[in-house]
Amino acid sequence: MSKPNDLVQGTLDLLLLKMLGLEPLHGWAISLRLKSISGDVLQVSEGSLYPALHKLEQEGWITAEWKQTENNRRAKFYSLTRLGRKQLESEAANWQRLSSAISHVVQLSEA
Amino acid sequence: MRMEHWWFTARLRLRSILRRTRVEQELDEELQFHLEHKIDEGIAKGLSPREARYRALRAMDGLEQRKEEMRDTRRIHWLTDFSDDAHYAIRSLRRTFGLSAFVAITLALGIGMTSGIFSMVDALIFRPYPVPHPSGVVTLVSTTHDSSFDDFSYREYLDIRGNTQSYDGVIANTDMEAVGFSAEPAATPRVRGGMMVSANYFHVLGVEPRLGRGFREEEDRVPGRDAVVVLGPDFWKQEFASDPSVLGRTVRLNGTEFTVIGVAPETFPGMQIFGRPDFYMPLGMARLFSTDRQKNFFEDRDDRELNVSARLKPGTTLQQAQSELAVLAKNFEREYPKANRSRGAAVHTQFEMRTRADDGNWKFSVIFMILALSVLLVACTNVAGLLLARARTRTREIALRLALGAGRFRLVRLLLTESLILASLGGLAGIAIGYGFVEWFHTKQNIMFMTDLPVGLPFRMDTRVLLASVALTALSALLCGLAPALQSTRVDLVSGLKSADVDVPGRKRLWGRNMLVVAQVSMSLMLLTASFLMVRGFQHSLLEGTGFAKDHLLMTSFDPRLMQYSAAQTKQFYELLAERVRVAPGVESEALTQNIPLGEDDFDGVAFVPDGFQMPRDRANFTSTMDTVDEGYFETMGIPILRGRGFLRSDTADAPRVAVVNAQFAKHYWPGADAVGKHIRLDSSAGTPVEIVGVAQTIKYQVTFERPMDFVYMPQAQHPVARMVLMLRSSGDPLQLVKSVRDVVRTLDPNLPMLQTRSYEDFYLNRAVKAPGVATDMVGTMGAVGLLLALAGLYGLVAYNVSRRTREIGIRMALGAANSDVLRLVMGKGLVLVGMGTVIGLVMGFAVERLMNSMLFNTGGVDIMAYVVVVPALFLVTMLATYVPARRASRIAPTQALRYE
Repeated sequence: MSKPNDLVQGTLDLLLLKMLGLEPLHGWAISLRLKSISGDVLQVSEGSLYPALHKLEQEGWITAEWKQTENNRRAKFYSLTRLGRKQLESEAANWQRLSSAISHVVQLSEA
Repeated sequence: MRMEHWWFTARLRLRSILRRTRVEQELDEELQFHLEHKIDEGIAKGLSPREARYRALRAMDGLEQRKEEMRDTRRIHWLTDFSDDAHYAIRSLRRTFGLSAFVAITLALGIGMTSGIFSMVDALIFRPYPVPHPSGVVTLVSTTHDSSFDDFSYREYLDIRGNTQSYDGVIANTDMEAVGFSAEPAATPRVRGGMMVSANYFHVLGVEPRLGRGFREEEDRVPGRDAVVVLGPDFWKQEFASDPSVLGRTVRLNGTEFTVIGVAPETFPGMQIFGRPDFYMPLGMARLFSTDRQKNFFEDRDDRELNVSARLKPGTTLQQAQSELAVLAKNFEREYPKANRSRGAAVHTQFEMRTRADDGNWKFSVIFMILALSVLLVACTNVAGLLLARARTRTREIALRLALGAGRFRLVRLLLTESLILASLGGLAGIAIGYGFVEWFHTKQNIMFMTDLPVGLPFRMDTRVLLASVALTALSALLCGLAPALQSTRVDLVSGLKSADVDVPGRKRLWGRNMLVVAQVSMSLMLLTASFLMVRGFQHSLLEGTGFAKDHLLMTSFDPRLMQYSAAQTKQFYELLAERVRVAPGVESEALTQNIPLGEDDFDGVAFVPDGFQMPRDRANFTSTMDTVDEGYFETMGIPILRGRGFLRSDTADAPRVAVVNAQFAKHYWPGADAVGKHIRLDSSAGTPVEIVGVAQTIKYQVTFERPMDFVYMPQAQHPVARMVLMLRSSGDPLQLVKSVRDVVRTLDPNLPMLQTRSYEDFYLNRAVKAPGVATDMVGTMGAVGLLLALAGLYGLVAYNVSRRTREIGIRMALGAANSDVLRLVMGKGLVLVGMGTVIGLVMGFAVERLMNSMLFNTGGVDIMAYVVVVPALFLVTMLATYVPARRASRIAPTQALRYE
């Protein structure tokens, strides 16, 4: 199993949902974008990207559609579903709470 | 949210199951798309195409693993795994075809027996009433000291109906009785079966007539006013060829004209297990059909002829209904102390009614279910043993799979899939056997019922039985497969891989197989004891004899109610009949009796208080079975009068009341004293005194294997009943008397039918010998099948155990052991196991024997014969099973044995 060890558990889902919430993308584009957005801080192995996408699809949070790319190739485009949007909201809220709590703790120990 | 989620995912899962290749292709294509971009990117960076491709694949962390991971997210792998397992299992079962076939046949026998028996038990116990919402229908019963399931009188029924709130309707019906039917006024009536029901009967049960209408509410209000009848579906088909114009036609029932108003639907054959009424008449017509003519059906509170049922209101519990009825019963007791002293009432569900301890069907079901399940258990242990042996020969294969990283759970599943397939094959064949059994039983129908009434066997393989069989199959797969699967996957990898079939020394491993041997011996011993006991107990009861003479007897019954005779006409009819047939040629003697011994109908009961007997405070009377007979009865039936006298012509209606009791009764109430001259009082200590003038020998009254029971005879003149059986003792063939009897009857009333005209000996053979013989045949078959299976399984297990020790035997012999030493060693082991099984089996056998004795037979004590035959047979088979392979093992050269794999 290749868990994205470098990422906090579950954050990959959040990142993917967020990204697809902006616009429908295919896998390759997602991997490029992941790299460009987060730089070297968040290293997502390409290997773990597709299983994660599949999981989200099986959960019904994202849905896939085969479409032509700009270079006229067939590719699988993922987009957020209504369920996925709800999931994104709740995960984002969770993340906010968690991260603010953690940074709070971290600041305490610094003082 | 949940629903929506489910909707999404279910669609996706379904897609991955149904369009597996398509989904796989898309998976490939998507990853390929990614890889190509990645490679292009690498080439753009200046890498060689080879290098770019290599790096792209590296970045994926293993393409195939990723794919597998993605397949797992679809969560359908259990299904694809199962189909893989099934393919593999079928292949490996085909490789060992003989063994697989034997296992399947063994299971088929076990499942077949059980599902066949279950089709009977279902009909007798579990099948719900054929009405909508059957679980709401409850039965109300009157309770006394002697009977927890008594009927109600008409007055009581009306009071219950008017004073209870728990029900959506309270209905009443009589038992199905013989009804004289004629389509034309002039025709001689034929006997059919009918029952009276309350007018709300069909409505409350929720049964819509197939044709016409049910009864109107007012149709049972006025006694004798509404002569209307609803026909049963079978009768309508047979008698009127399903003619819809039958509505409004007039038919004669018991001599009175009735108008057909409706036909019950085919889905409603009636509420009884066996009986399928031809007619339903309203209670208002009770004068024509009531069984006790000395009582007034509409007024007498102790004329208890009605079964009362009710439909519970939704939301009302049985307890609420129960306590409501209990209060009502208390009121009855207070208001009508004469009719209702120490009489309670209870509400029962259908299941409770059918599983009452005194019910013959229930006893029958329990015993046969136990036997069938034991056969199934023996079959399962058998199969478990064989599968175990089979799995052990695959040690290397299993060790290899484990070594290659297969999970233990996954392997257990594979092995269970194999036994599931075997069990399914066995289950299919078993269902076929079950069908065969039901068919066979139906061919015995006319043996089981010797009656003119419309009855039928309701046994069938329906959805319920099939479902139960399927469940049974799955269960037996688990039973048979689990232990071997668990054990064989617990191999030691090192030794497992080294040898094809190695027995790792250790007590634990052998323990399982030894347990199987012990279980098999004890189960089959119990089965055999039970079947031996039943078969022999029954034969024993036949040898004991019935206590009266059965040969040269003609029986024929009369029911003057069918012709609307008054009490005086009835009396005159029987007097003239007896007088005239007595002098007919070929007739040696004549008897009239209300019921024949060992007949279809139940004897009446009589409530009494023995004179001078101190009754317990909470008890108003005792009860006993009774019969009404004429003065020729004891002589004609050959029943010896032990003390005092039989009945005389002088015991007329005006003479002092007399009775004859049987020896059992005399011993019961006056132990050590002479019963002749004593008195009993009817109903209560203030009742009519009846002098006991004679003691008759105790005979068999209901079944040949009954316990001796109390019995009272009353003279016909003092206790007249409408329906009587004429018994004629002939000098020659009794059936030759039929014509002269018919001539006599014709002179008295050409319209009165002769019912159930038979030679009593034939009747007895059918009713008391052949019909129970069907049951003992079944038990015998089950015992035999159980024994055969157990012997085969025992032989297999023991022989297998011994053959596995071939190498050990070789070593022993190489070290100088003699043939006899080896034989003793191996056989000793087998015999110890059988010995243990025998002890356990004996204990279980005793338990079953006690149970069956308490339920069925009068033969107390232990049937030694069963053990004398069964135990040595088991030992013999074990000896044989150990001897053959042990001998073979001791014969082979040590060098060969040591190399033996």
